[in-house]
Amino acid sequence: MTYSNVTDKLINLERFRIVNRSFPKTEEILDLKRQDRKVFGWLCTYVPEEIIHAAGILPVRITGYTQETELDDGSAYLYINNCSFSRSCLQMGLKGEYDYLDGLVAGSTCDGSRRLFDLWQHYLEVPFHHMLTVPRKYTERAHKLYYEQVVMLKEHLEQHLDTEITDEALLKSISVYNESRELLKKLYQLRMVDKPPISGAETMEVLNASQRMPKEQFNQYLRELLDELAVSGNEYRGRSRLMVTGSVMNNPEFIRSIEELGGLVVTDELCTSTRYWSDPVDVDNHSPLEAISRRYLNNFPCARMVPSERRFDRILQMAHDYKVDGVISQIIRYCVPYAHDIPLLTDRLEKAGIPILALDVEYGTSGSGQISTRVQAFLEMLETRKK
Amino acid sequence: MTTAEHKSDVDTLVRMYRMLARMNRSRPEARGSQTLYFNLLAEYYTRVSNAHRDGKLLAAHTVFFPTEILYAMDIVPMHTEMTTWLHALFLREQAELLAKGAELGLAPEICSPHRGVAGIFAMDAIPHPDVILWSNLICDNTAKAGELMMELSNSPGFFLDNPFQDSPGEMDYLVGELEEMVHFLEEKSGRKMDWNKLSEMIEHTDREIELYREISELRKAVPSPMSIVGYLELLSADYMFPGQPEALQYLTLLRDELKETIQEGKGAVSQERFRLMTLFVPPMYMISSLGNLFEEKGAVSVVEPMFTRWSEGKLDPDRPLESVAKKSFLIPERRSMYGPLSQQALQDITDSAEQYKIDGAIYWAFMGCRHTCATIKVMKDLLNEIDIPMLTIDCDIVDPTITSEEEVRDKLEQFFEMLEDR
Repeated sequence: MTYSNVTDKLINLERFRIVNRSFPKTEEILDLKRQDRKVFGWLCTYVPEEIIHAAGILPVRITGYTQETELDDGSAYLYINNCSFSRSCLQMGLKGEYDYLDGLVAGSTCDGSRRLFDLWQHYLEVPFHHMLTVPRKYTERAHKLYYEQVVMLKEHLEQHLDTEITDEALLKSISVYNESRELLKKLYQLRMVDKPPISGAETMEVLNASQRMPKEQFNQYLRELLDELAVSGNEYRGRSRLMVTGSVMNNPEFIRSIEELGGLVVTDELCTSTRYWSDPVDVDNHSPLEAISRRYLNNFPCARMVPSERRFDRILQMAHDYKVDGVISQIIRYCVPYAHDIPLLTDRLEKAGIPILALDVEYGTSGSGQISTRVQAFLEMLETRKK
Repeated sequence: MTTAEHKSDVDTLVRMYRMLARMNRSRPEARGSQTLYFNLLAEYYTRVSNAHRDGKLLAAHTVFFPTEILYAMDIVPMHTEMTTWLHALFLREQAELLAKGAELGLAPEICSPHRGVAGIFAMDAIPHPDVILWSNLICDNTAKAGELMMELSNSPGFFLDNPFQDSPGEMDYLVGELEEMVHFLEEKSGRKMDWNKLSEMIEHTDREIELYREISELRKAVPSPMSIVGYLELLSADYMFPGQPEALQYLTLLRDELKETIQEGKGAVSQERFRLMTLFVPPMYMISSLGNLFEEKGAVSVVEPMFTRWSEGKLDPDRPLESVAKKSFLIPERRSMYGPLSQQALQDITDSAEQYKIDGAIYWAFMGCRHTCATIKVMKDLLNEIDIPMLTIDCDIVDPTITSEEEVRDKLEQFFEMLEDR
């Protein structure tokens, strides 16, 4: 990637970096705790954050180490064949990095995530635990089941906190979260142009912060960042425009390593990024809880959902919208849902004339060594195709 | 590969099982239930082989699938994981199947039975299924296996979404899923569901579950009457013939044999010294040699809480579809491997250890089965609390290249020595 007129004085990007550098124990979180406010951890994007938020709780996403780390404890507890994301998160929990949590909410989304929840519940003391059954289909019957699950979460929270979560509070939370989604959409739209003002790695830094701080504050900073970017004159260019897909990944260094080789990451299909913000909660013709429930089950799908074609179609649409030259799929070892999709996704992309590089990685990898060599070769192949 | 060749591949299984049954008949010490088991498998694969000739729909399905529905509709079930790996074991084609799976782009971390299933579909080496049926019970691998099978075989399919927890809403959801699947199968087969037949099968399945419970009770005897070889046969009865008279016939015969063995004061091994809990399942290709080693060392697997301890509850033949749904909540594998790691599942481990008077436990850590391996530490900690040692053996249940038999034997011998010292 090359760039011109890029300023390193984006104040609001720096604010997000400060949050990320100190997470999980950020100043904002510790301040809230000092004020006796509650903080809940959540696992997986099928957990409806708005409900936790409407209860007056700060929801933060549980993530692991943002660099490759020896996962001795994580492996001892979850065994070596669970994905390194789960092991990394659990190890941070065991080391006390999340010892401030007042609750943990998860969905039955994949084997790694549900076992992470099980062991967290078994070995770590958290006063509130809740697991939502998340159907794998989009049928009306599946929506009914998921809606019931969302209602059960709300009622469990109300019982635990001895308070009512009103429709008014839910609507307010929906509004805050929808604003966040809208702002992130604008940030992504900036990346559709030939010379985007923000890189893929920087975008990942913004996304990380979005799941680690009060949403209202995040929205304010992001609004200001968008204003800053509008006048920054930043222009990023790359040898090829790329999309990153696959397993959970929130390490900006991985994206940066691709961009330093000359690739320009213009979009992604990750649960930490696009799949986190895409699709607003539509409150027209629905009660707040129904609207939340429909949005979360219908959202840009994870590889766990059936039929997979729905995910593939959205990937292809994004590849078109963002004028992508190639796709880099990064799949964490033992991340079975995404690994199973590789033969079918490769076929769909190849039919659309989009080459794919499938990388087996560990969570937190920076993309050095062999990965770097393979990305370099992929970029060269993409350049050859353009000639 | 031609249609004739497909037939001969499955027919190899038929011939092998017929031969095993014949060999058993000439061995006075062989269990009659095992001979019957071999014959039943031969019958099963004869039906698979002849399905198209007989004008029947052939349905390929993943593990823990409610095949009572298929039998009630006169549809021939073909268990994909069992068929693939019995085929591979008899024809010595494990490496070929896994290589084919890898060629498709499936990563080595995907569980080997499912890589093999994809491989056998890509090789077109089993009879062509008319429909693909799959479910998320028991893991992400089963949930994700179906679409690739559909694509490789160009067959239509139905995904049965099995809810994660046990609540009235989730039971309703599963019943709705089953209803939709019945409609799908009626459309594809041109046959209507025979509800009376399904009710009859539910009655059989309920009796079958009772027999499983009786057999589990009998295994508490000292010495314990059933070998580790019998354990794997026991599982197959429900996997292959649920609700069928054959399953009842097999389980009744096995139960009677066990009673007789106990009455004679005999055990599964000549001199019982170590009573073991088996967690998960040992590698299929090692069963025979494990049987020999256990006999030599006086070891016997007396309880397998993850696979043979059914939950409490009865099925109701008057509500057949609800009963099919309910059965999926009763199966032992669901409690320990699929649903949340409940207090009940954990209690099962310690209760079993005490009730069956075990000396030690062996956890077969199948590398492709992430969600079970995630419970290794929890189970080890629980057993340690009641002073029961647990040995963990990394392995693959179908791929012999991951762990050698010598390595397993060494670990087991050391474990038995340690138990002896205690």
